Amino acid sequence: MKTIPTLREKKRYLAFEVMSEKTLNRQELVREILNSMISIYGDKGASEINPSLMSFDGKCGILRCEREKRLETRSGLACINNIHGIRVSILVLGISGTIKGATEKFIQQTLINRSEPEKNKL
Amino acid sequence: MIASYILNMSLIIPPPNNRISISLDSIIKPIMSLFGSKFYDFYTHPDDAGLMAMEGKRYGYSGITVIGHDANEKTIFPEDFSIYRGIEIKAKPSRIREEIKKHRDSGHILIVKGGEEEINRAAVETEGLDILLHPLEFNNVLAKAASDNSVSLGFNLGLLIRLQGVARVRELKTMRINLNHARKYKLQLILTSDAHSIYDLRAPREMAAISSLFGMTEKEAVDAMSASPLNILRRKSLDYIQEGIEIL
Repeated sequence: MKTIPTLREKKRYLAFEVMSEKTLNRQELVREILNSMISIYGDKGASEINPSLMSFDGKCGILRCEREKRLETRSGLACINNIHGIRVSILVLGISGTIKGATEKFIQQTLINRSEPEKNKL
Repeated sequence: MIASYILNMSLIIPPPNNRISISLDSIIKPIMSLFGSKFYDFYTHPDDAGLMAMEGKRYGYSGITVIGHDANEKTIFPEDFSIYRGIEIKAKPSRIREEIKKHRDSGHILIVKGGEEEINRAAVETEGLDILLHPLEFNNVLAKAASDNSVSLGFNLGLLIRLQGVARVRELKTMRINLNHARKYKLQLILTSDAHSIYDLRAPREMAAISSLFGMTEKEAVDAMSASPLNILRRKSLDYIQEGIEIL
């Protein structure tokens, strides 16, 4: 059954980019994000942040979080440094209210910006 | 006939009112301007300075300080990006004063990595030091001496990124104490990432988010990455003579 709109949780979507030595799979990343948030904010804080990975293709991804907990989500992502011996850093590209907005505004933009300098060289 | 009439009508319509756009700007700008300034990272030691600079520019920095690396001509640095040389002074507490005096006029950025009280005291009481990074034992006497000699207090966020568990709790505790002293004596703050490779670097917004873990506000974090580094650079410039005296 649908929740009524006023009781629905307010959410935000973070578009992020992963820089890593080797490509990661989805399961490893999800586990590490949860671990990092639990180690900083504890079980209670992590449940309030309510993170869930919407999509991840090895490079860019979208993470859902609570609207009021954007800062906490950012610091949780920023404290990830190492996943099973692979060095990792996560850069948040931007925050949006919808998945479509996050994809169009941030992820596609970075892909376009990435490909343009190569075209100029050729 | 109708077409000409429409043309005339279009001429009569006044140009869009400028006042609306100005008022919108004034609403939007204060929110945007927090992260619209130039950002600097003052404590990195990369193996490949060129790669680090490229990555730093992509993350949104406009300059980094490289420690213990002689930039040779082969490394290619990106445009609109400045690289400063920093000197980290590692010496016994009794030798720190002499070392600072030796390097004071070199124009490089002087950093002492804080530790026990003797090191901190020797560093803070000498004029000419720029940054005291992450002192472990900090108290009101040292804070007052630091504000007299205009030494900035550095926070090493790399520790929070790399450590976990009990060790991170300890570092957070010392940072909280340091921040309280800095607020009381109005010290300049500096946020650094202590990056050894490109994977240790974090974007300015992420740095602000990490610094909120030990109670720093967003405004303080932005000032610590843009205003106080610029202040240090201004003091290092050739036109600067003394606080309040400057060649124009």
